[in-house]
Amino acid sequence: MTSHGLEYEGCNFFRQRLVLSTLSGKRVRIKGIRSRDDNPGLRDFEASFIRLLDKVTNGTKIEINQTGTVLFYQPGLLLGGTIEHDCNPQRSIGYYLEGLLMLAAFMKTPLKATLKGVTNDPTDPSVDLLKTTALPLLKQFGIDGDGLEMKVVKRGMAPGGGGEVIFSCPIRRTLRPVQLTEPGKIKRIRGIAYSVRVSPQMANRIVDSARSVINKFIPDIYIYTDHLKGANSGKSPGFGLVLAAETQKGFFLSAELSSAPQGQGPTILPEDLGKNCAKLLLEEIHRGGCVDSTNQSLALLFMTLGQQDVSKVLLGPLSPHTVEFLRHIRDFFQIMFKMEAKPPLEDERKGGEKVLMTCVGVGFSNISKVTK
Amino acid sequence: PKTTEKDLKKAKALEIKGSDQAYETDGALRWKDDLQQKASEVFLKHQQAAPNLRKHVYGTVSSQGAGQGEEAELGGLFRVSRPEKSKTNLADAADCSRFHPDSLHNWDLEEMLHSIADCFVTGKWEEWQDAATLLKQDE
Repeated sequence: MTSHGLEYEGCNFFRQRLVLSTLSGKRVRIKGIRSRDDNPGLRDFEASFIRLLDKVTNGTKIEINQTGTVLFYQPGLLLGGTIEHDCNPQRSIGYYLEGLLMLAAFMKTPLKATLKGVTNDPTDPSVDLLKTTALPLLKQFGIDGDGLEMKVVKRGMAPGGGGEVIFSCPIRRTLRPVQLTEPGKIKRIRGIAYSVRVSPQMANRIVDSARSVINKFIPDIYIYTDHLKGANSGKSPGFGLVLAAETQKGFFLSAELSSAPQGQGPTILPEDLGKNCAKLLLEEIHRGGCVDSTNQSLALLFMTLGQQDVSKVLLGPLSPHTVEFLRHIRDFFQIMFKMEAKPPLEDERKGGEKVLMTCVGVGFSNISKVTK
Repeated sequence: PKTTEKDLKKAKALEIKGSDQAYETDGALRWKDDLQQKASEVFLKHQQAAPNLRKHVYGTVSSQGAGQGEEAELGGLFRVSRPEKSKTNLADAADCSRFHPDSLHNWDLEEMLHSIADCFVTGKWEEWQDAATLLKQDE
């Protein structure tokens, strides 16, 4: 708590630190970024993320030392508006979108972002996955309406990229507190099997093998095949699958797998990819909760920023990323969650242990939102 | 934990059985040798994986402070700059929100499929939601 604000070390949890800093207005200094690495300092994709933050804000002050191992970030005001950004292809657009999803509702004017780069890679949540899971989650907190949209205009696989995504989000003055404690039962499974610059038959082979695993549970399965051609297919070949299970209460649990980037890693048969992805979905269902493991942090952030009322959300086991996020929330907003483990009952067949997260919101309000 | 206790007992029973037969087929039953030990290891691991959550998240990490004092010095002059595996791994690891647990369940097993059956509308419903019992009450 010196004049430098909060201080951290290392490049991990980079985005959550900058995002929470932007929302709370607290300055942050990150030192020792890959200082022991042969190639020390910030990577291009991190610089690209900083530039994106700079585009949606006004008055942000960024200082980086010569080796790139120390970053000082003084947040500006969230401005929003129409922006365009070339996302560095080292990480997929999902990496950048996760940051934007946390900030978009608190802009001065609604955000309409055109992001260019890699839409699907094996590392980060893909645009398709965020579209099917994060957008419904935003709606739970009262961020909905016509302006909420995420669209894959062009698909671009890693490593070449060449994809394009449009994300627009309405703004809110305050967020509504939520009580998401009962997930309900899964009523249907939807999915997207995509392929670019390979045979369109790949997608069909993925669909068949994925169905063979999940058909035992539920008959209502529909997996769309999405084969983009020509200018809309990006620069690299690849294929993959996104699966989402929807419950009666409108919650989504998701899983995805993508083929390894061309020239990197082992090749995978579409049949194996389909089966493995279906198994990942079963794993996610076993973890359970009202929010899937990818979006845990997003839900917890909105609970923190909610009005001064009690919010409850049932989650599956906390991911390491989420655990660190909770620590950062404590640093930036002085909010600590109450966590109750809910072990499975003896005669219940609903997967593993769940965690009920409870907190009182800080009553965050978007002061820059223009009232009409 | 209840099931693991059961497993422990089962493992014990298996071992006793195994030692009886071991006279005839020595070697073939090697894999049963340390079953009990394996089972208790799994049990302990399970116990450690579920500590007090609040402590796990907000508790002070004392192990980090302990590691810092152990920096070796050569002849009181030079400091050995050796990347500490665990520390650098965490602080400089890739920033990714995906959850990759250490081990995945084996979804080829019928029991595993069984364990999530009630998560679906096709599974068993709670009594107050079950259509059959509700219909019966109406009659």
